[in-house]
Amino acid sequence: MLFPTIEFAVFFAVVFPVTWLLNAHNTWKKVFLVAASYYFYAAWRPEFTLLLLVSSVFNYGAAFAIDHFKYRAQRLTVLWIAVAANLGLLGYFKYYNFFAASLMNAFSAIGVKVDIGFIEVALPIAISFLTFHALSYIIDVYRRVLKPATSLIDIMFYIGFFPHLIAGPIVRANKFLAQTVSPRDPANIRLGQSVFLILGGLFKKVIIANYLSTGFVDGVFRDPTANSSLDLIFGMYGYALEIYCDFSAYTDIAIGVANLLGYEFPQNFNYPYRAVSVQDFWRRWHMSLSSWLRDYLYIPLGGSKFGTFATYRNIMITMALGGLWHGASWAFLIWGSLHGSALVIERMLGITGDHAAAKRGTLATALGWLVTTQFVCLAWVFFRAPSTDAWLGYFATMFGGRSWSTTVTPFVAFIFALGALSHILPPRWFETLEKCYDEAPLLVKVLVPFVVIYLISVAAPAGIAPFIYFQF
Amino acid sequence: MKHVDPTELERPRPTGELRTAAIVIYATLVLLAVTIPQSVVNWVADMNGNPVEETALRGAEVLRNLSQRSGIAGVYQRARDIFIAISGVEPD
Repeated sequence: MLFPTIEFAVFFAVVFPVTWLLNAHNTWKKVFLVAASYYFYAAWRPEFTLLLLVSSVFNYGAAFAIDHFKYRAQRLTVLWIAVAANLGLLGYFKYYNFFAASLMNAFSAIGVKVDIGFIEVALPIAISFLTFHALSYIIDVYRRVLKPATSLIDIMFYIGFFPHLIAGPIVRANKFLAQTVSPRDPANIRLGQSVFLILGGLFKKVIIANYLSTGFVDGVFRDPTANSSLDLIFGMYGYALEIYCDFSAYTDIAIGVANLLGYEFPQNFNYPYRAVSVQDFWRRWHMSLSSWLRDYLYIPLGGSKFGTFATYRNIMITMALGGLWHGASWAFLIWGSLHGSALVIERMLGITGDHAAAKRGTLATALGWLVTTQFVCLAWVFFRAPSTDAWLGYFATMFGGRSWSTTVTPFVAFIFALGALSHILPPRWFETLEKCYDEAPLLVKVLVPFVVIYLISVAAPAGIAPFIYFQF
Repeated sequence: MKHVDPTELERPRPTGELRTAAIVIYATLVLLAVTIPQSVVNWVADMNGNPVEETALRGAEVLRNLSQRSGIAGVYQRARDIFIAISGVEPD
């Protein structure tokens, strides 16, 4: 079930009133929201709801086991078993075939024929997201940041809550479970903010991401060598805008929808292409993932505590695994490692951290933005190209100066401009709009979403492509 | 002895914000259904046939006919035609 569909509108039209009618009966409300979330997930493959259930029951029990033991070594043993089980499930569905193929290729290269065999099983949608939610819960219990939930429903609700279930944002267990202990206060609904997040998300996904994808980017990446160098350059920037508009649209709508139901999700994007360093980029892009990786991987590895070499090694491990989290392919590993290398180089040059940023002049800031943006956009080519041959061909043709003609139509150029506006318009404009909306009469409050969605429908392409991050 | 769920003791009362949110959500959906009724008809028609969906389809068709007769649905189609002509995107 995709957000920008009639199916979801009808689903939400039922979920919204029932949630608030049950608000005074918190337990029943959570039971209802779990049922609604499982229905939402079952819209893709009903059998995979079993995976959600198994993950919730297992991690609910694992948290109790971790909390039960007094000694750190015992608790750590149970934690490792639980982490291994969660990652094992993820590995089986997502990485088994990749590692089997890589191993067979490696043996084949030294002349040894090994047949490990592949598994033929569909990848459960959003398995990476639900695994990270589950890990957040058991690790927080191990760290004693959080007491184990007394009710299984709380964990089923946390892992399966439909707005974040498919593509995040990754909500921390301690932040979310604190919101489940008592009825939500409807006074906390920020209508203006939710409405503009949802409308902005619909516009970014249905108009900008869809038209950039179907009107230009897909064609360029399908056969890069058949395109001009200029089209490949536009394709690279086009994909950078497309993936931002696609992914941030999903999480904006998720945050807005959750708020209408009384729940708070963390911010996930903050003008990422305004970043002036790669470190700054990761503080603005998929913020819930980068902070998750920092807190549950980089810091446990030692962070920056054990000297320069260990810090660089920890950054590289974190970013390479972060890349691999997106998908089972060498391209994602290269993409993550490239970002890791850039972060290491920035540290070597001493241009990271808030202190260095404060000392930077206007020219250095502009140069930092220019270099960061080019690096990030170039790295997206690895992320988008379907195979090694594709990205090799892409770069060879783009840098080969094959020809400087373009197939960008005036309409696609207009969509590019709209995508760029998403980063040019100052945030205070949106804040002012939200404030005006909140103070407007009821008729205006109704007419604004109606007119915006009506105009989006007028200009929408015939079908809606799934969100890019669904595959992760 | 009846055990009371402690989470059910605190019962915030609905506020104006919730009422406004409900009005905005439902009014928007109704306005969209009235002004773009063909989308609703197509959506219901895509479902597998059963008595409930057949009733829903009949309801959606009544809505579409009313909207077409009053000229509301035509505005959407004209706007869509103008957009396709200006943008050069593929017609539906």
